[in-house]
Amino acid sequence: MYDLTAETIGLLIIYAIIAIFILFFPLAFIYSMLFGWIHQSRRQKKLLAREQKVAGIVGGDNIHTLSNPINLEHISQCGLVMTNITVSPSWWQLFIGGLKSIFGGQIQSYDKVLAYGRGEAMQRLREQALGEGWSEVINVRVETSMVMNKVRGGNQNKLGTLEFVAYGTGIR
Amino acid sequence: MEIMTSNTETIPGFSITKSLGVATGSTVRAKHIGKDILAGLKNIVGGELKAYTELLMEARTEALGRMMMDAAQRGANAVVNVRFATSSVAGGAAELFAYGTAVVIQQE
Repeated sequence: MYDLTAETIGLLIIYAIIAIFILFFPLAFIYSMLFGWIHQSRRQKKLLAREQKVAGIVGGDNIHTLSNPINLEHISQCGLVMTNITVSPSWWQLFIGGLKSIFGGQIQSYDKVLAYGRGEAMQRLREQALGEGWSEVINVRVETSMVMNKVRGGNQNKLGTLEFVAYGTGIR
Repeated sequence: MEIMTSNTETIPGFSITKSLGVATGSTVRAKHIGKDILAGLKNIVGGELKAYTELLMEARTEALGRMMMDAAQRGANAVVNVRFATSSVAGGAAELFAYGTAVVIQQE
């Protein structure tokens, strides 16, 4: 029979740590494959519902890219409105995207993430404008940048993390 | 007195009476290492990474606030044509920079 001395317990702990490290990446990858799309499609549905809600309140769209107001005639105040979001594709999407980029063509897995990020940034702009009481947001610009280059420095954007910034001038 | 900010060259309905030069504001931020690890885990399923969203938004708001303080010291009541720029500093820090033209405006 084995007797549990301090030495064997120490060895067991070391084996357990090694097993966790070896198993983490495959398990995380399988989790990403099975549940990534559920998370993302749920958020996409929520975004659509919010867009319809704001459109119902405003009766159209309250943000536009022109530098002059469309509906408002007399401006008494203005201020900068800005919102942002950082998004990243899941590990599964990165894997599929990497495979597809060998042959070129449209990469749908990245497409969805970018469309969601940009839509969400603009939707937050609409909601913030409503919340702060601006009746219109003029001269809206949407910018895209790589987060890791900013946060970590250098060219380290291997995981495809992107930041979308939407900003404009709110008027009332 | 509240300073009005705009990313258009002129504010419709107002006329610029005096230009007071470029107002600038900047801030350097570094990430929290624990949040960085959590964001890395969130990366598995994709979607929004709230830690980075908040970090960058806080930094931008701070830079904008400093720009407005600079404009107030120059005696301006508005900043027009506001722009943002970012650059990375070595050692895991990001600089966010906001600049615009400090002006005195008058309602027409």
